[in-house]
Amino acid sequence: MDHITPDERTDPRRIRLLEADGFHEAVRRAIVLARLQDLIAWGRKHSLWPFNFGLSCCYIEMATSLTSRYDIARFGSEVVRGSPREADVMVIAGTVFRKMAPIIKRLYDQMMEPRWVISMGSCANSGGMYDVYSVVQGVDRFLPVDVYVPGCPPAPHTLMEGLLLLQEAVGNERRPLSWVLGPDQIERPALPIRRDLARESRQRAQTFPGMNEVAWYSSPRQGPR
Amino acid sequence: MTHDLPIIDELRLKFGTDYAQIEETRDGVPTISTDKASVLPLLRFLKQDAAQPYPMLFDMTAIDERNRRDRSMEASNEFTAVYQLFSFDRNQDLRIKVPLALDDLALPTVTSIWPSANWYEREVWDMFGIRFNGHPYLRRLLLPKSWDGHPLRKDHPARATEMEPFELTEEDEQTEQELLKFSPEEWGMQRSQDHLEYMFLNLGPAHTGTHGILRLVVQLAGEQIVDIVPDIGFHHRAAEKMGERQTWHTYIPYTDRIDYLGGVMNELPYLLAVERLAGIRVPVRAQVIRVMLAELFRIASHLVWYGTFAQDVGQLSPVFYMFTDRERVFRIIEAITGGRMHPGWFRIGGVAHDLPEGWDHLVREFLEYLPPRLNEYDTLVLGNQIFQARTKGVGCYTTQEAIDWGITGPGLRATGFSWDFRKTQPYSGYEQFDFEVPTAVNGDCYDRGLVRVEEMRQSLRIIGQCLEHMPEGPTKADHPLATPPDKARTLQDIETLIQHFLTVSWGPRIPAGEVMAKVEATKGCNAYYLISDGAPWPYRVRIRTPSFPHIQMVPSISKGHVLSDLLAILGSVDFVLADVDR
Repeated sequence: MDHITPDERTDPRRIRLLEADGFHEAVRRAIVLARLQDLIAWGRKHSLWPFNFGLSCCYIEMATSLTSRYDIARFGSEVVRGSPREADVMVIAGTVFRKMAPIIKRLYDQMMEPRWVISMGSCANSGGMYDVYSVVQGVDRFLPVDVYVPGCPPAPHTLMEGLLLLQEAVGNERRPLSWVLGPDQIERPALPIRRDLARESRQRAQTFPGMNEVAWYSSPRQGPR
Repeated sequence: MTHDLPIIDELRLKFGTDYAQIEETRDGVPTISTDKASVLPLLRFLKQDAAQPYPMLFDMTAIDERNRRDRSMEASNEFTAVYQLFSFDRNQDLRIKVPLALDDLALPTVTSIWPSANWYEREVWDMFGIRFNGHPYLRRLLLPKSWDGHPLRKDHPARATEMEPFELTEEDEQTEQELLKFSPEEWGMQRSQDHLEYMFLNLGPAHTGTHGILRLVVQLAGEQIVDIVPDIGFHHRAAEKMGERQTWHTYIPYTDRIDYLGGVMNELPYLLAVERLAGIRVPVRAQVIRVMLAELFRIASHLVWYGTFAQDVGQLSPVFYMFTDRERVFRIIEAITGGRMHPGWFRIGGVAHDLPEGWDHLVREFLEYLPPRLNEYDTLVLGNQIFQARTKGVGCYTTQEAIDWGITGPGLRATGFSWDFRKTQPYSGYEQFDFEVPTAVNGDCYDRGLVRVEEMRQSLRIIGQCLEHMPEGPTKADHPLATPPDKARTLQDIETLIQHFLTVSWGPRIPAGEVMAKVEATKGCNAYYLISDGAPWPYRVRIRTPSFPHIQMVPSISKGHVLSDLLAILGSVDFVLADVDR
């Protein structure tokens, strides 16, 4: 007990550990037993590194999600990689231009498995406002998309919701551990359509804020955000 | 009216009375129609020999006239090329039109008069298929090399859904990648000289230092930049073609996405042009609301520039401060408009809604919040010695060079030339505001930064005046073409109801005519040149953006610097790719 400083002595967590009786409790607290697959999925889920890649307006909001007020680091996704080879997730942030499409494809191909794609914003989802000759009508014409984030551009917190959905999917995904072990296909959980899930609560909504007053969340009466 | 302008007399004196026809336009810009043979001597005279010359090629474009309904019976040309010149001495625009027949779509190049004509002519070739004889490199600018057709011609499909669905097979990808390969010979560049082998470095289109999908091929001798070939068009979103099919009203949100950091600032020149065509006078309160929001967006845009510029030269923390401040701006924007980056909130004849109760607290809070932060950043960024070493004396140009290349905005003022369209050609009531036009001396990266930082302080002054003197009154003009029309009276009589129904469902019919309106936007002068033939949608929308000429100038100011300076230069230019490629 001599080596414990007074500060540590008052630390409640420390005290609880010291009070715990015996070897079994120490083991219980120090060792996690899990299936290797689950453990890897858990690790992947909490360290989705995005590829530093942006196309247009949406990229500004994606960059905003990295900065202080939103702070995507809370979800382990702040490690933006400049090289596709080091990245796990590619956020298609913006309009998919026809001139750009072969380059997007090339960059995606350079990413290592496992890799995921978030389609951010209406343009990447479907062409959005731009049903026009120079724009591909949705990035899913040539890339597999895991999560679609609506908005034009989606606010940073909407992108983060998309990221959380992807994390959930990645955490529940089961991939073969090696080419000689177990089944060789990826098991992906079904992702429900969010609109359908929200429909009931939206239909129940009865009060709507008008346009005549500053919304409560922006009001100075609420104090600084 | 325009017949009496002095320039018209001077031209008559020089070229004789029947050298050209003078057209009446709605914006009062003197418009001269001339033929192919006289375009070169005329433009050279206007730039070099006229008493108060027109030194800037402000814009250049073309019009496909084939479907136009308001043309006179005599007009037989299928296309028209349009040169827009600007004279600082006269504070006046001048429009030169050259009619062209479909079977002879060619003009002499004016690249010998203006270096900036290079990209404008390439764009016109790309979009309309008009050739420019003697052009040093007449290839596609915005569309991929493999493209078939010229999109701004009226017979080219507008919608992606009118064309074959997009497929990207392995072979397509290979072909496109092959076409993207850079060949120095194609650009008349040497691979080596005097036992020195040049390196060709490909920067972009997916590169963090280029602020978007811009591609630069840099010819390097060691670390030193010999030449740069920019490749643009990766962000071509066909905004001009889009204008030809959206109604006057439903085109507004598309303008937000041109300079996507400028938000409602983009709506202003478009609406000023539409309102001039329609003869709408915007009520004072709406004008002041517009000015206030536009200036808030100028600050938001400059804050993004400030943070990313510091990041470009190696300071990693400032961007986090500036983005936090930008959120403060968006707090106000969200409260007033409900949107963030692209509110789409101005309307023909006013704004979408009156200010919500409590807006003044938000604005006042922000006006108190930002100035001390800006002072702090002066120490953090501008006062930083490494920052100064990286930016002072880098990427210099003179006022003369700036004008030759079509540079406007902070980039022009950093050379010591005090020119701000808010002061010289006031719009939306700017003449009533008290603010300074900041300038600098050296025209280098550092000075461009200084000017922008000071501009934020001036914007705060303007916003403060909006706050203190916000006039009372309506926020939408009482005019039949103001859109959407006032709902209240529709329940009184059937005629108003019908009008309301038509204007809401179909959109207003703006009277035929041609008009240009320009504003001092966040990055420089943004102008909309609109042509109406009386339909519920524009016949032609031309968007003159500041970033386009600014990026065109980058190679000429980067030569001789080392590669790392290129990123400082790009950062200091402050461009947005959607503003370059539209």
